[in-house]
Amino acid sequence: MATAAVGVPYTVADDYANSGLWSWLTTVDHKRIGVLYMYTALFWFGCGGLEAEIMRWQLKGPNGHVVTAEMFNQLFTMHGTTMIFLVVMPLSAAFFNFLIPLQIGARDVAFPRLNAFSYWVYLFGSLFMNTSWLVGQAPNGGWFGYAPLTALQYSPGLNIDFWMLGLQILGVSSLAAAFNFITTIINMRAPGMNLMRMPMFTWMAFIVQFLLVLAFPVITIALVFLQFDRFFGTNFYMMTAGADPLLWQHLFWIFGHPEVYILILPAFGLVSEILPTFSRKPIFGYPVMVYSGILIAFLGFGVWAHHMFAVGMGPIADSVFAVTTMLIAIPTGVKIFNWIFTMWGGNLRFTVAMKYAISLVALFTIGGISGVMHASPPADLQQTDTYFIVAHFHYVLVAGSMMGLSGGIYYYFPKITGRMLSEKIGNWQFWLTFIGVNLTFMPMHWSGLYGMPRRVYTYDAGQGWEIFNQMSTAGALIQALAAFVGLYNIIKSRKSGEIAGNDPWGAPSLEWSIPSPPPDYNFAVIPTVTSRYPLWDVKSPELTTDVPHSRVGDEHNTIAIGGKTVGSFQDSMAAGTPEGGLNPNARQASTKVSLKTAEQLGIPMPYPTIKPLFVALFMVLMFASLLLIHVNKETMGLVAVLTFATAMTFSLYLWLTSPLEPSH
Amino acid sequence: MNFLSRLRRPGTRKAGVVALTVAFAALLAACGQDHPDSIFHNRTDVNRDVDYLFKLLIGAGTGVFIFVETILIVALVKFRKRPGQPEPKHVHGNTTLEIMWTVIPALILGVIAVPTVRTIFKTQAAARADALQVEVYGHQWWWEFRYPQYTMTGANGKVDTVVTANELYLPIGKTVNFTLRSRDVIHSFWVPALSGKRDVVSNHTNYLWYTPDSTTEAVFNGACVEYCGTSHANMRFKAFTVTQADFDSWIEHQKLASVDLMPPPAPVAPAAGTPAKPGAPAVTAKPATTPAMAAAAATPAPVVQAGFVMFPREKMPVSTVPQTPYPEKLKFDDGLLANGNAAAGEKIVNTNMCIACHTIRGNPMMQAVLGPNLTHVATRTTIGAGLYPNDAQHLARWVKNAPSMKPGIIMPTFGIGEYDPVTLKGIVKTGFTDAQVSDIVAYLQTLK
Repeated sequence: MATAAVGVPYTVADDYANSGLWSWLTTVDHKRIGVLYMYTALFWFGCGGLEAEIMRWQLKGPNGHVVTAEMFNQLFTMHGTTMIFLVVMPLSAAFFNFLIPLQIGARDVAFPRLNAFSYWVYLFGSLFMNTSWLVGQAPNGGWFGYAPLTALQYSPGLNIDFWMLGLQILGVSSLAAAFNFITTIINMRAPGMNLMRMPMFTWMAFIVQFLLVLAFPVITIALVFLQFDRFFGTNFYMMTAGADPLLWQHLFWIFGHPEVYILILPAFGLVSEILPTFSRKPIFGYPVMVYSGILIAFLGFGVWAHHMFAVGMGPIADSVFAVTTMLIAIPTGVKIFNWIFTMWGGNLRFTVAMKYAISLVALFTIGGISGVMHASPPADLQQTDTYFIVAHFHYVLVAGSMMGLSGGIYYYFPKITGRMLSEKIGNWQFWLTFIGVNLTFMPMHWSGLYGMPRRVYTYDAGQGWEIFNQMSTAGALIQALAAFVGLYNIIKSRKSGEIAGNDPWGAPSLEWSIPSPPPDYNFAVIPTVTSRYPLWDVKSPELTTDVPHSRVGDEHNTIAIGGKTVGSFQDSMAAGTPEGGLNPNARQASTKVSLKTAEQLGIPMPYPTIKPLFVALFMVLMFASLLLIHVNKETMGLVAVLTFATAMTFSLYLWLTSPLEPSH
Repeated sequence: MNFLSRLRRPGTRKAGVVALTVAFAALLAACGQDHPDSIFHNRTDVNRDVDYLFKLLIGAGTGVFIFVETILIVALVKFRKRPGQPEPKHVHGNTTLEIMWTVIPALILGVIAVPTVRTIFKTQAAARADALQVEVYGHQWWWEFRYPQYTMTGANGKVDTVVTANELYLPIGKTVNFTLRSRDVIHSFWVPALSGKRDVVSNHTNYLWYTPDSTTEAVFNGACVEYCGTSHANMRFKAFTVTQADFDSWIEHQKLASVDLMPPPAPVAPAAGTPAKPGAPAVTAKPATTPAMAAAAATPAPVVQAGFVMFPREKMPVSTVPQTPYPEKLKFDDGLLANGNAAAGEKIVNTNMCIACHTIRGNPMMQAVLGPNLTHVATRTTIGAGLYPNDAQHLARWVKNAPSMKPGIIMPTFGIGEYDPVTLKGIVKTGFTDAQVSDIVAYLQTLK
């Protein structure tokens, strides 16, 4: 049917270089930045995965000696830090970047150059942190970095410095991006898209940005204290000076628990996009889904001390945090049920994206249930810091976040690249992942309850833990295989995947009304939105007639979805109900389209610029120079810090004094 | 060529189901094994309370799990796309249903929350006044246990507390109240079979009590469960539950000082004259385990507590005997151990760096408190914080090159020609020979 082997679906003649390395270094296009985020995060996913595989290989049997104790401690520290800060958060950021402007009908984010800056800070920060491997001093204090183990007295090497400075750098990236997205969502929604018409992903992203803005300053303060202790001899965490190590723990977890929702809510948002599309039903209980997301985020700031039940806070604090933690289960459960009832009565198509979404629903439930078990302090005292909790949070973060994000990749890859990921290879990847994840993390519940502590590089024989560890190691290998299958799929499908067309899935939201990949200006004409499901209003009106916020009668003629002036895809889009969820016409049509450029359409787009990259680079170098102080080169360190600070300020000056876009 | 037509591949799915079934079968099989460190042994009052809560949680959790997964699977099967199926009906929500799945989970959580709070207050109340007091000090990476209710006055009038390392004796049926403090970073004290863990926090004092009232004479593995640096995984310990009579006997024995072999008024040994050769003087050997000590058995022994002085090794289940292998590169001539001279060993100990860290009550040279107290080291079943069995072979290697046996520790490498894994420098001139190490081991083995 589809005309295979057709070139790019459209050509754009930009006045600036549009491909090649320079265009990527200077891009301020939210879609390209999203793509950069995605591939960088997938690269670190490979690194974090490799770290996990080495650890699993060490633990496959008792008294293993694949790596030394010190190396193992660096591995688990960097595995956690990498997966959280360099993989799940940036992969979520990839979707924020790519999708938020498309879903709200905007042409870019509010601050395109700040957006580029966020990415470059992330890239250089992640490289900086991993440079530590090259000098053999990777962070070794755990991703939670408890004081006083991180104090100079107990960790005299550069290990903790890399971690502490790296996290501060990454925090700059996250905060800049968060403010950017908040501004974008508040100010740049298309006409008619009020908050309760926003797609669920954008809603969850919106909530996450507030979590970032409120949580990251807290860890920044904790890290600045640590930095002052280590570099300038202050006493925030100095036990001999009478410091209280719980100061770090409270600060860290006030950040750390909202961080959990920073990691999971974007995946929830993606699942809330995928399930309705492949059920061909609107999301069940849209308002409740929004409110439960807000409630989860709000309660998320009131439960941090459940990470600290073992530190001896006393019965009153334990009880309070136990109850608040249990409360979070209610909105989370509501989400699970609403997802199931989104599918209930639907017309389910089991694409790979759908399978990932469903397995998030199925497996996150397990993590949620073991979460409630941890909420009960007397039981938690037996479970915490064992493999039981390792099982718990991997069900949340791998079976939850990563499954959701993987589903998101399968769902949005056609929009990002214009080509479908292979469903055949994708099925292999999905089932290998599904089996691997369960085989790795399910047995950890048992090894934990049978007494195996976490963060141990070795364990003794005869404790009854061997079989569970063997299963976990086997599962980890299967996950690695799945990752390679996925990598192969991406490489292969980018070259020769089927042409996607505007709307390969028959989806309801605005991003599917424009070509794949979208032109740099996204929407030739900013759409006017009158409903939550603008595309369904046009293509499948029977799905949405009763949805609130759709004004019956006017959606068919007044929803102007962008692009009437730029080609024929509008016609194909209106060609009726997709057969088998696909509109083959759309694909054929899109291959013929040659889109007009922003210039031809008279749309002012921001200039590409290299300046944010330089500001980011000098900022990271400025932080990195502090390391010199700890290799006994104080003067050189000070000079380097000042030099890079000056260079950063100068680049920033150039950035701020150059115009954003052509005057209009 | 519609890619959506290839979506459902029964073959792939069947393989997945088979693999999962196999995995869960293996899991079930594994559950039937022996699990010495399980949290489900119910040996104490506290753990029984926890177990009640745990059963409630796992019961409610399993119920919710089955319910959710069932309706999910039903939905997946019932509403999968079939050819020629009409578009689904638009449903945007259902207020009654949504209120239901808000209220019912809230009720379930209420059922969990009430006993949770009750158990919190019960288990965190002050321990009963007549409890056995044990002070626990966490060190990188070993445990110091002190029994402040049991003190003795030394020869110089100094009042000492009974103190031991890495091995905890608890009387059956008596509440024990632990006072937890750290000497350096944060640790966490845990004997899974006896109770939940409690962090050992720097500059804080924590408490934990329980009563080992449903146990016989037994040994339990304990561990540090808060990451505390390089050898966190090697910070283990043993908890022995013994009868009150045995406990009393053990603690009386622990009060005794060691016998100093060094000072001039040493009793005249039968085989005097060749002090560097086998047949060393005066030792208070209980069970004679080495030839050196057998030779010493004839000497007049000081008064030693008769009866229970340590948990009989033969009664220790295999799971409580460390099986950590030696480092491959660490060689020791075990043949020399039989010839170790305890008195010579004490002389080496007293004139080397050992005095900088360790205490041996009864030996006036040994009064430092940085490392474990060695007064009764020979009555312990393990060395290196539960890492190796306490026998001559392991002790010898430990003395020769401890850092290679336990990464990161501050005890230096002593063996001549050995490499210190931390400094990566060879110990050539000042190190001990294997024969000297054997003497030290002989001395340490007299410290019953």
